[in-house]
Amino acid sequence: MKGDSKLISTTMPIYRRMKSCGVQKQGADKRVISGVLEDELYAMQCEILVDWPSLTIESIQARLKRFTTVKCILAEKVFLRSEGWKIDSQIEGKIKKELGRNGCRHMAALMIDCLRSLARSELANNLRSSMETAPNLDKDRFIENFFKDHPDLKGIAKIR
Amino acid sequence: MILDFQTNSLTTVTQSGPGVWQIELNAGDNLLEVSVFLEIKAPTLDIRKSEIILKRDVLGVIPDMSSAAAKLVGVRVGPGMTKIVRELVGGVEGSNWIADLVLEAMEMLVNAITVPELGKAAEKGGEQIRVSSDGPRIFLNDVVIGPEMIKVLGANPRLKDSCAAFQNIE
Repeated sequence: MKGDSKLISTTMPIYRRMKSCGVQKQGADKRVISGVLEDELYAMQCEILVDWPSLTIESIQARLKRFTTVKCILAEKVFLRSEGWKIDSQIEGKIKKELGRNGCRHMAALMIDCLRSLARSELANNLRSSMETAPNLDKDRFIENFFKDHPDLKGIAKIR
Repeated sequence: MILDFQTNSLTTVTQSGPGVWQIELNAGDNLLEVSVFLEIKAPTLDIRKSEIILKRDVLGVIPDMSSAAAKLVGVRVGPGMTKIVRELVGGVEGSNWIADLVLEAMEMLVNAITVPELGKAAEKGGEQIRVSSDGPRIFLNDVVIGPEMIKVLGANPRLKDSCAAFQNIE
């Protein structure tokens, strides 16, 4: 085998944003999603507790750790408005409009990423278990069936 | 305790010359993974180069994005970009997810350009602040390994005394 090494850049970055989301099952009927965002301007995290399968946001904690203005911290409370919301095809727009504009757009983006991770996590878990019994399953049909069973997850999963 | 699914993304903005920025966004999870590269030039902040590389597509749902990437050349960072990018990259023939990532990459250039301005604002009119939220309301640990099982695991010489959890096990 021939080795290969390639230098891409010799310039320092001026800005970097890292985001990470993790999804956990806590029992059969609870999902906890945790998200972290860090860049030159902001550091924030959110934790969301979702009831399954009703897809209701039971609890959320949005924490701003590094921010730019004295008013940014006020956004934390705005995110509590989402407690009781159901995850459906309208949730992304609702988060951007009601929580992003009135609270923090960056936290809203992180929350959307978290909920997308939740939807994709369910899809991935279903796919994994389906492929155990049918390794050559028809993936198009699998996707169709998954979203037939979970229509509210289709919009937020955004798998294409 | 154990994570079921993970998503990661890293966006890097580099200034390669006067008024020329390169933005690279890498995003991925267990199902999909993509790299978006944009080169944007001042003063109009228009995209000069664009590349979309699909690295993972477990479900085979993302179409070829090369023509969508080519169409991005000429699009400007500014008002109206959301609608234009969604039309060029998203929709039935494209990928709405990747359209969102292209928009995120463009937005990160705005953030990068804003950093020095915000720095100046903080220098001129900054206030000292010491605030922090209260403790957690949602706990990530629902179940953790108890003392009896620590003893069992700690019998493994690789784990014994390797950290606080496996020290002083009786």
